[in-house]
Formats: sequence, structure tokens, C-alpha cells
Amino acid sequence: MNFHFNEEEQEILNMLEDFAAKEVGPRAQEVDEEERFPIEAREQLAEMGMMGIYFPEEYNGSGLSYMTYIGVCEKLAEYCATTSIMVMASESLCAWPIFAYGTEEQKQKYLAPLCSGEKLGAFALTEPSAGTDAAMQKTVAVDKGDHWLLNGSKIFITNAHYADIFVIFALTDKEAGTKGISAFIIEKGTPGFDVTGHEKKMGIRGSSTSELIFNDCKLPKENLLGELGKGFKIAMTTLDGGRVGVAAQAVGIAQGAINDALAYVKERVQFGKPIWKFQNTQFQLADMQAKVDAARLLLYRAAQAKQDGEPYSHLAAMAKLVAAETASDVTRRCVQLAGGYGYSRDYPFERHMRDAKITEIYEGTSEVQRMVISGWMGAK
Amino acid sequence: MEILVCIKQVPDDSVNVKMNPATGAPDLSNITPIVNAFDTYALEMATRLKEAVGGTITVVCVGPDKAKDAIKTCLAVGASNGFIVKDEVTDTISTADALAKAVAKIEEAQGVKFDLIFCGKETTDCASGQVGTMLAANLDVPVIPNLVDIEAIDGGISAKQETEEGYNVVEAATPCVVTVTKPAYDPRYPTIKSKMAARKIPIGELEVGGVAAAAVSVVANAEPPKKEAGIKIQEETIGDSMAKAIAMMKEAKVF
Repeated sequence: MNFHFNEEEQEILNMLEDFAAKEVGPRAQEVDEEERFPIEAREQLAEMGMMGIYFPEEYNGSGLSYMTYIGVCEKLAEYCATTSIMVMASESLCAWPIFAYGTEEQKQKYLAPLCSGEKLGAFALTEPSAGTDAAMQKTVAVDKGDHWLLNGSKIFITNAHYADIFVIFALTDKEAGTKGISAFIIEKGTPGFDVTGHEKKMGIRGSSTSELIFNDCKLPKENLLGELGKGFKIAMTTLDGGRVGVAAQAVGIAQGAINDALAYVKERVQFGKPIWKFQNTQFQLADMQAKVDAARLLLYRAAQAKQDGEPYSHLAAMAKLVAAETASDVTRRCVQLAGGYGYSRDYPFERHMRDAKITEIYEGTSEVQRMVISGWMGAK
Repeated sequence: MEILVCIKQVPDDSVNVKMNPATGAPDLSNITPIVNAFDTYALEMATRLKEAVGGTITVVCVGPDKAKDAIKTCLAVGASNGFIVKDEVTDTISTADALAKAVAKIEEAQGVKFDLIFCGKETTDCASGQVGTMLAANLDVPVIPNLVDIEAIDGGISAKQETEEGYNVVEAATPCVVTVTKPAYDPRYPTIKSKMAARKIPIGELEVGGVAAAAVSVVANAEPPKKEAGIKIQEETIGDSMAKAIAMMKEAKVF
């Protein structure tokens, strides 16, 4: 058992941290305040090869380990949660299912430009009546012989206005339940496909979250991803991987909040001494760091299992559950440590708290993670 | 164009350095070593020139074994070869002498003659700003200090030099030495590919021998005095404020 990144992985993470500290962190407040997509980071990260970290070089990927990718997600989230989800939605939720289930032609056409960062990806499963109950899809794809005819809508889609390639899910057989759902690849600009609105959110406010509308949208037959009727399985396995990413994001947000709190308590003087000289502050910091490290270990175990090709669905669920709830708890305590300044938008603490909350909700709520874990335990 | 960039590994200057009372020297134990900022500007300028006209960039650093990390950093952002000079140097005279000797050895090892040698205008730790000029003197070639831009012309280079009044455009025949200040652009970030490629490049180790003795030694270190609170002058009109400021300076015998 080894709890260290190897030398090569560590060098890449150091390089990423240097970049994030200089370019991502300083823009985080503005990205949040103005609800602005982090377009500069999107371009710079693409240039650096960070949009296809763990995919093979033959598809323009960087050919590094999945652990490196998870380390990058964690570090980016430490500086800006919005920027981290932009990367994760493209790599974990769009590039990965194309890599895992796509044909060679689909990989060359869609995966390669996603990995180079030339194009950005998104994943569209959620519908107004199909959130946690993802099987209740209303979007339909009808086989018209030489094409698919797509009708319906998707909501809360991350990267929506900036994505070029979407992996979406639709019913191809209304009678077959979850086995009647299929996955498709659709490109921005396809006639009959529109991205509309902008969700006003509590946190990760720079992230583009919008609705997708399909109105008699014709899709080429070759845009079916994986086998017909296997869409639900593709969605669930994709979300297993996505959950490891969200756990990394949660750990990163929590660590970022602790780092900011540590700097604050060294400067803030009350009763004639910096507040980190008070035992309450010391114990709060110690509790928070211990909890974050515990979540980080669960995260690395899940990521290592995925990298090694072992079953990891339950590990991903445990990592996400614990990391997300830790992030919410730690960021709330950091607001409390900073008192009135913690509540002020001039300081980063309330942003961390708002950003942390989404990690308990998206890519499967904490309640869904409990269902996955108890199911794995046999308590069905 | 064959280019050499001279770099130094320095303590991270974005961190507040404290004195160690026991040693009487700055406490650098927890400070990350980085590439001197002005050297990163020099490397970026050299890389842009190389991209425009072709050629190769070699990086040289006088320093201990851990300074190889600084060379590796440079190999990921434009340099193709790196050398470390392990002779001990303690001042600018010995550094410039070691570098001049290293230039000859690297040229011999690589079988090329350098057309251009880039240095940062100064280091962020010692800030003497002498090494580039001394190196040019040792090599008996021209030097153009304080550049913000450079381009290749027939037989040499045309350089934009920052002065206290503005800019000079200076042309020089190669070989020559240039020193670089902050240009209008930032150094590039490494990419995963360039970083991975840099890991595979072997760093040459040199001991040049017979380095000139240092002429300067450190007698004592002292922390700079803490900045005192200023005086705010805000009279009704700008004229009144100026008059009051001049009166106060006269009283303090500033002039």
C-alpha cells in the first residue's frame, strides 16, 4: 500500500498547482461573482494537455494515469470549484463513455478533439422528471431507417453553452424500461438541437448550466453510442467514474477552505493575539484537516481501484458520500472561524461553502450514494 | 541560431523571508527554490526568437546538485539541453568567470559556437545585476543590457532596450551577450508533453576548475527596516497640498 503519487505524477501535479495558483485562484472570486464561464482557464488547460489526461496518446490524450487526473481535479477545485467541474464534465462524463463504448470512428471523430481540448464535452441524462430516478426518461429517439429522430429536453446540463460534443440519453423502446434507453453522441449546431437559458445557481456559479431542447432533431445512425438499449448501463458506469471526480472536487474545495482559514487565523487579532493562538481555533483546524485527509484516503482508494480495473462502484459512492459531506461541514466551519468576515463576499469562505453544497447533489445525491453502498452490502 | 541562457536557482521571492537569529543569515529552510524570474523572462524571449528563426537553446546554471530542478523546469519551456556547473562560486566575479569557462566547455561538448547568450538583468535574491556584463567582458563580446524585445537581423540582432527615459533600439553583431528585464509578455507554462519530454533529457555536469577567487564577502546580513506609516496630505486644493508637502520636506531637510 502506497499513499504517494509517483515522481512523474507529482511533477505534473506541482506544475498544475503552480498554474492554478497563478491563473485559476486569482480569478475564482470574479468567476463566481459575475457568473462567468472560466474561458481563459479552459484555453490554458487545453494548451497544457489537461483536457485528456488519462486517455491514450493515439487519441491526443496525455497518456497519464487516472490517479494523476484525480490529483488534477482535486488541485483545481482547491483554487476554483467552477474550473474543476468544467474539466470533469468534459473528461469524466463525455470523453470517457466515448472511449469506453465508442467505435474507432467515433473515437477518432469525437474523443481526439475532446482530449486535445479543441472541443469541450458535456453529458446529458437529467430531465425535469428524471433526476435521481434517472430511468424515467421522456426524451425519445425514433429509428427512421436512415437516421434517428430525437425529441425531448434535458435540464441542469454542465458546460452546456460552451460544449461542442454531448453524450445524451433517450428512450429507443418505451416498453423496455431501463433496457429501452440508448446513448447517443450529438454535436452542437445539429439542426433541431438548441441550448437555452442559464441556471442561476447557489454555487459553482461560473459553470454554464442550461437546458437542451431536441425538436425533430435528426441524428445520423452512426451517432448511437454503444449497443442499442444499453444506455442506462453506460450512464451508470459513467457516473461511477464521475463520482470519483466529484469526491476529488469536494476534497479540493474543503482543502482550499482550510488553507484560506489558516492564512486568516494567523492574521486576525482578537483579545490581543492572533486567533490561531486560541485552542478552539487549533482544535477546529485539526478536526477539519483530519476529516479531509480521511475523505482523501477514501478518494484515492476508489481512484486506485478504478485505475486497476477492479470493481469500484461502491468505493466511488463511499468516497463521494464522505468527501461531499466533509466538504459541506468543513466549509461551514471555516465561515464560522472567520466570523463576520466569513459571511462577507469580500472573503472566499462563503463561496467555498456555496460551492461545496453541490457535491452532495450532482452525479448522484448523497442519498443515492447510500443506496449504492447499502445495495453493495446486500441490504436491498 | 545557437542560444545559451544562463539561469540561477533562487529562493521563492513571493514568500516573506525571515532572518535566522542563530546563524545571522536569511532562513531559507522552508522556502521553495525556483528559477530567477528575470531568467524566466530571458528564456521566454530566447524561445520566441528560436521559434521565429530556428536554432537550439541550451541552459546553464552554476549551483549545487538540487539546481538541476531549475534546469529541468527550463527544459519544459523551450530549452533543449541543460548543463550544471558545480564549481563553488560566492560572488559575481567568480560566477561570471565560471560561466565564461563553462561556455567554452559547452561549445566544445556540443560542437557549436553560441551566437547569443541571454542572462536575466539581475537575480531576485542578490540583485547585483553584474553577471551578464561581466560575462560579456570575460568572453570579450558586446553586451546589450535591459532588453524587452529582440529580433534577428542580417549578421546579428536588433534589440529593444529599456532605459530610464524610454527605449533604445540597438543593433549588434553576434556573438554577443544580452540581459533581459520584464518584457510585455509572460513566460509560458509547461505542457504535460513538454514536461514529460524534459524528464528524459540528461543534464550535463561540468567542473570548469580554476575559477577566479571571490572579491566580495558578506560581512553581515540585516533585515530591512520596517516601513513606517506615511503622512497623508489632503488640503482643499492640489496647490495647497503641494505647498504643504514642500514645506514639510524643507523642514525635514530633504532638500
